Amino acid sequence: MNSKPQKIIVNIQDCKYPSWKVCLRNKLKYLKSSNLEIDCKNLDLSCTDLLEVIAISNQSNCTVISVCSTSLKTTVSAQSLGYKSQFIIENHLNETLKINEKNITISKTNFHQGTVRSGEYLESSGDLLILGDVNPGAKVSAEGNIIIWGRLLGIAHAGSKGDSKSTISALQLRPVQLRIASRVARGPKEKPQLGFAEQARIDSEEIIICPLETT
Amino acid sequence: MATDTRVILICSGKGGVGKTTLTANLGISLARQGFTTAVLDADFGLRNLDLLLGLENRIVYTAQEVLEEECRLDQALVKHKQEANLSLLPAGNPRMLDWLKPDDMRRIVDMLKEQFNYVLIDCPAGVEDGFKNAMAASQEAIVVTNPEVSAVRDADRVIGLLNTNAIKPVQLVLNRVRPKMMANQEMLSIDDVTDILALPLLGLVLEDEQVIVSTNRGEPLTLNSLNSPAAKCYLNIAKRLQGEDIPLIDPLEESSGFGAKFRRLMQTKIF
Ligand SMILES: Nc1ncnc2c1ncn2[C@@H]1O[C@H](COP(=O)(O)OP(=O)(O)O)[C@@H](O)[C@H]1O
Ligand SMILES: [Mg+2]
Repeated sequence: MNSKPQKIIVNIQDCKYPSWKVCLRNKLKYLKSSNLEIDCKNLDLSCTDLLEVIAISNQSNCTVISVCSTSLKTTVSAQSLGYKSQFIIENHLNETLKINEKNITISKTNFHQGTVRSGEYLESSGDLLILGDVNPGAKVSAEGNIIIWGRLLGIAHAGSKGDSKSTISALQLRPVQLRIASRVARGPKEKPQLGFAEQARIDSEEIIICPLETT
Repeated sequence: MATDTRVILICSGKGGVGKTTLTANLGISLARQGFTTAVLDADFGLRNLDLLLGLENRIVYTAQEVLEEECRLDQALVKHKQEANLSLLPAGNPRMLDWLKPDDMRRIVDMLKEQFNYVLIDCPAGVEDGFKNAMAASQEAIVVTNPEVSAVRDADRVIGLLNTNAIKPVQLVLNRVRPKMMANQEMLSIDDVTDILALPLLGLVLEDEQVIVSTNRGEPLTLNSLNSPAAKCYLNIAKRLQGEDIPLIDPLEESSGFGAKFRRLMQTKIF
């Protein structure tokens, strides 16, 4: 599949240009047919936006191979268009945390933007990405992993069909209850430190919570 | 004839948090500012907006007769004695719950929109049909809650439903705030509540014994007791609803009481 192995990274969020479209067009002028990794930085791009990125690239005989961004929305848009994508989390310490196919396999991802409120229930047959808080009294469940770009204060169930390798990640993990596969755990009493994303997973038959791995 | 009528649902999920009290006081305040205002009692099961406004004995017809076309709207509207800009459309009997549909609510509100600047709908507790009917006719909403876990949980549920029904804006009123308890962390703080509910805060209302006295008298505080702590809060809420930029009271400052106020006065060199 990869006939053109060399991949050129194009940053389309460059303050020299008035918009990412202009930026992309200008940068492509100097490239002859190549494979691209589009670095969207913190741009929030929809699927339509990304289709435009791809169209502009194709006009210059370039092929988009992958997309990376610190915006969850952009990452998810890229995923849903079937592109390899990397989600980069920058925490308060300016360490970057890269989530990609290596540590999280994103299959059929469902994406929800906004707070999940008391009494609401979200379910996914693959992974579940939530951009917002999961409030007390709300429940989210996925056959795969759950990633919450916000606070988890309600109930989350990952691996709902029994996959015990599933994980639950959130910027703040303060759930009432956590479930992974058939394991159930009550949420931790103590408040987590701010600014550190955490992940719950099964380790020797028990649900443990640890800082999200930095790579 | 008013064309840009604001139809505001006053709701909470949980009962007894202060919806009816807010509706009555907001109604009086808006009327006093010169806006023609209708308050609609949509709590057919436990109607008491008429009581709070002291209008119980003047009711002849209700929303029910209007819908059944047994009377005209203006025959059912009860004008307030002191505030001529304020009218109440009373709730019919509880059996209305059996047949009332969202479309009926919309019909009533459409009629009210023809002659009022504001229509405030006092919503029943719960998230069932009574709430859904009232929501169907509303454009925007005020969610009332108390600094208690259960009230906040129910408010959150209601906000979710308002969002899915495209009601906006949705703003928050935090009622029965006790500055001392908040300062001692015996009560959820304002941040605790707004953190979860993630709504713009339209105002705080302090816990105030005068509220109970005024309820029993059928005279909302904003009518005759403008100096009571809660009345000031209600007046501020009415002004903010108009878009006026009035800072929120700081409950911590309220709790530090006379000593602190005295010091502030000294500092501002009034003496
Ligand atoms: N700020 C307040 N301070 C003291 N009592 C209050 C306050 N707000 C409401 N109350 C009391 O709480 C009770 C319930 O209020 P009400 O407005 O009838 O609630 P709801 O309509 O939400 O059921 C009433 O007895 C009322 O007097
Ligand atoms: Mg009531």
